Amino acid sequence: MDTQSYLPVQPGVGMEENFLSLDDILLSHERLPIRTECVFPRLGFLEKSSDSQDIPEGTKMELPLWLSKGLYERKRRVLSVELPKVYREGWRTVFNADPNVVDLHKMGPYYYGLGSQMLHFDSPENPEIGQTLLQTFIGRFRRTMDSSQNAYNEDTSALVERLDCLEKTLFKSGQSGLNGFQSWEKGQASQLTASSLVLNYRKRKMTDVQP
Amino acid sequence: MDPSEVEFLAEKEVVKIIPNFSLDKVYLIGGDLGPFNPGLPVGCPRVAGSEPKTETEVSGLFLLHGWMLVSTVHADKLEEMRDLERKEDAFTPVPSPYYMELTKLLLNYASDNIPKADEIRTLVKDIWDTRVAKLRLSADSFISQMEAHAKLDNLTLMEINTIRSFLLDSLNCMYKLRSNLQPGSSKGQFTGLLIHKNLGRLGFGLPHGPFVTQKTFLGD
Repeated sequence: MDTQSYLPVQPGVGMEENFLSLDDILLSHERLPIRTECVFPRLGFLEKSSDSQDIPEGTKMELPLWLSKGLYERKRRVLSVELPKVYREGWRTVFNADPNVVDLHKMGPYYYGLGSQMLHFDSPENPEIGQTLLQTFIGRFRRTMDSSQNAYNEDTSALVERLDCLEKTLFKSGQSGLNGFQSWEKGQASQLTASSLVLNYRKRKMTDVQP
Repeated sequence: MDPSEVEFLAEKEVVKIIPNFSLDKVYLIGGDLGPFNPGLPVGCPRVAGSEPKTETEVSGLFLLHGWMLVSTVHADKLEEMRDLERKEDAFTPVPSPYYMELTKLLLNYASDNIPKADEIRTLVKDIWDTRVAKLRLSADSFISQMEAHAKLDNLTLMEINTIRSFLLDSLNCMYKLRSNLQPGSSKGQFTGLLIHKNLGRLGFGLPHGPFVTQKTFLGD
């Protein structure tokens, strides 16, 4: 049984982000390739490649997701967002062929989250992106499930290194189910143990605790 | 839900004991127990059944659950169950909704009183393994066919419990990825909340207009 001193907030996965989720905060800092559609006055310091004071129209640069999402408007075109290459046609074919061989940690590590966020930006390919995300998840589900339900008491780093962040959370919940059952079967569940909070508290020196 | 909580529920299950002591009827909230006469089998919840052995050390107390009699009367019943379980694609009915927990509880407390305890342990473990493999297979086809509901006939609480958190989390994820496909679900403009959140995080003030012309943002 793993007890934690706080309850982590799950990522929002879909189009919405969870305000307090650490994963979603990291996700919103992913960089997206964009192209400016108007002049950004006096923001030249953001673009390191040129010395001019303004960012001229038609510059190609990278902006974090949260900023591009905020600046993007359908009516008044401030910038246009290009698809990162994992969501383009070529990679989509790879994902549709066999989602299991792809190293999603290298490709993402927020493949599903960022992919869902990409749907905010109007693109003719949106339906295909959504479909590929879903099919990839379904295709990889069996492997995530089997590895999380069978790896007991062994090093799981090799199993999770190719998983997306979302799949890693799933892997963890699968492991907690397995570990709970195994410790019950071995009779460890009936033993009383000290709370981890108490154990950690004792390790601290009293001088650190007292103001 | 923790496995020990499932075990707690299983302890209410009635098992048969053959007492070697005599006691009048015991009146409890859950129902009456007894009367206990030496040599006569009597039903009694597991939680009460284990007590006499540990506390008063009555030797030779016999704990049984009908289906567990591999040895004599119900010879090979468990083996039949295991073979049926392996043959069928669907889940076959199990002898007790708490078969796994009862096996563990009874065999741990009274393995010397139950004939062929080792054999029972192996058979029950075989049945468990077959069922869990089946459960995983059906979970996979449940996901890959994108079903919305499933019937859990003949599944026991402990089996559901091992896969519950994983399956529920994945169904949540799949639901959200699927709702992406629905046109106009939550599509459209960013919410004001989002940009406020991120600007607030970087220590900027809240934007009052298009922020490329915002003075505070430019740091003038």
